[in-house]
Amino acid sequence: MILNKLSKQAKGELAFASSFFLLGLFVAWDTSKMDIPQDNSIVSPQTFPYMVATFASLVGLGLMLDVLRGKLGIPDGNEAGDPYTPLNFKTMGVVAAAIGMHVILLETAGYVLAATVCFWGVAYAFGSRKILKDLLISLIFAVIVYFSFSKGLNINLPSGIFEGIFK
Amino acid sequence: MGNNFAMLLDGFQTVFTPTNLMFGLLGTFLGTLVGVLPGIGPALAIGLLLPITLTVNPTSALIMFAAIFYGAMYGGSTTSILLNTPGESGSVITALEGNKMAKAGRAGAALATAAIGSFVAGTIATILLAFGAPVLAEFALTIQPAGYLSLIILAFATVGTLLGASRIRGLIALSMGLVIGLIGADLQSGALRLTFGNLNAIDGIETVTVIVAIFALGETLYLASRHTMVQASVLQMNGKAWMTRQDFKRSWKPWLRGTAIGFPLGVIPAGGSEVPTFLSYGVEKALSKNKDEFGKGAIEGVACPEAANNANAAGVLVPMLALGLPTSATAAVVLVAFQSFNIQPGPMLFQTNPEIVWGLIASLFVGNFLLLVLNLPLIRFWVLLLKIPNHYLYAGITTFALLGAYALNNSTFDLQVALAVGVIGFLFRRFGVPITPLIIGAILGPLSELYFKRALQISQGDWGILVAGTFPKVIYGILIVVIIGPLVWNFKKTFAIKK
Repeated sequence: MILNKLSKQAKGELAFASSFFLLGLFVAWDTSKMDIPQDNSIVSPQTFPYMVATFASLVGLGLMLDVLRGKLGIPDGNEAGDPYTPLNFKTMGVVAAAIGMHVILLETAGYVLAATVCFWGVAYAFGSRKILKDLLISLIFAVIVYFSFSKGLNINLPSGIFEGIFK
Repeated sequence: MGNNFAMLLDGFQTVFTPTNLMFGLLGTFLGTLVGVLPGIGPALAIGLLLPITLTVNPTSALIMFAAIFYGAMYGGSTTSILLNTPGESGSVITALEGNKMAKAGRAGAALATAAIGSFVAGTIATILLAFGAPVLAEFALTIQPAGYLSLIILAFATVGTLLGASRIRGLIALSMGLVIGLIGADLQSGALRLTFGNLNAIDGIETVTVIVAIFALGETLYLASRHTMVQASVLQMNGKAWMTRQDFKRSWKPWLRGTAIGFPLGVIPAGGSEVPTFLSYGVEKALSKNKDEFGKGAIEGVACPEAANNANAAGVLVPMLALGLPTSATAAVVLVAFQSFNIQPGPMLFQTNPEIVWGLIASLFVGNFLLLVLNLPLIRFWVLLLKIPNHYLYAGITTFALLGAYALNNSTFDLQVALAVGVIGFLFRRFGVPITPLIIGAILGPLSELYFKRALQISQGDWGILVAGTFPKVIYGILIVVIIGPLVWNFKKTFAIKK
């Protein structure tokens, strides 16, 4: 009933707030089935997590009440009273995918390839459409970072498919 | 006192070796470079540059950090003035008046008063730090675990409720940070929490990963989702970055006032640089003879907040060094930098690692001076950086943030954590939740549990110890005034309006 009256923005924020209520419950559940090693300390390792769980649930509830009373958060970079701008999940998805690809490629294909893909993906998501130029810049960036960190600072980065080529 | 002075001189001796001086110079350069980039504040700048210091010896690395610390703040003010995109909350006010000055063709004066004001404030605040921190550390040796716990709870409350527009949203961020802090094995019993059988999670979540991901990845995801990115136009700077005699006359008092406001508010956990900069702006506006200039580019409105911001940042280092309690995101990263060399800031630091802590303080002086010399002549070079297209800028930030997260342990688990934290950062920005309380919660949460357990061990389980003694009572008294005070005041105001 009440839910129908809420704007799309308020519904999203209500979901966000309730996730903290649930997070608290979840932490409490995880704490309750904690394996406690033989331990003779005075404070159980469960006490503090239960406090944190209660705190998270309470502030989650508090925020839910705020949202229901119409006190919505002001998105970063907006001013109070600015109109609600719907989010573009497509461009955001491309950024998330670029980061995800970096995670997957890093230890399989090596740093240079992973960083190139990630750099290029984020640039694409931010609206750059000069695909070849961007690929070249991404590759140069990745190679410079790879060399300055792995050779210059002795920080070990996976060489992956370029194993043996860059020595 | 005399002893501390001798120690400080030793510190200068440590810094004035060619190698360390070179690291200091490199740090000021890198710090300004990264700080100038729009969207990057000091905390993220230091977080991103952390991997660079992993292979350097502790003293040189911390000297570099001190230089990066001030450098990133100098860089941030340049961006606020010329681009009107403050990288962090402390520069919001600078952008307000500074950008107006730049639009009126007075960019040079705005940049100069910011740079010189930051230098003056930074130097005075560092002197206060050098003589205040050891005194506080000595006093801190007498603080019992219950007292420490009360200090942490005070920090939680002030950072959680003073930042941002909404108290409850600050507490939401704090609770998320506390939950992140729970992940891993309990320090005393070894019981596993929220690890879900993942071996990588047993050691807990790396703080640097959290900081870098929540700032860099969160910001990139959020900006991508808004997709209203217009390349902000960089304002032209005509002439040199210098002030006229008239500008100087109008600036020097605000510099000193800014220092007086910023430093104490950094020492007590008053919730970062937002409060002192806003407060100092209000003070200048109230004191100024040219009130009509405010909002149109008043030089006092740049001089005072910039000084307050720098003095505040140095003030925050006092509890960080002397108590081991960081109360701002920037201090949190500096703490992590110490910990990555197995050095634990706190009351013992001045005794166990005097050469490092005094070297650090000396290099704050040196770094501050180098910046004044470097920044004003190089300003045209920094302005060029502002012209990097947004798509390359955020591509670079993302890639570099992932490198920082990976390089700590060479593990892709940290990268998965970074992605998850980035999404949390995105949601926080979307729903107007402040970021800093999360970082403070994640760092101080485990520490608060430790002191809580120690206190109860001393009392054999009697919870009364938590409020026993004068010190905790005073702190909880302050807490009640800070939290309940504004509530009563607001209530009276609404009541009066209703009547």
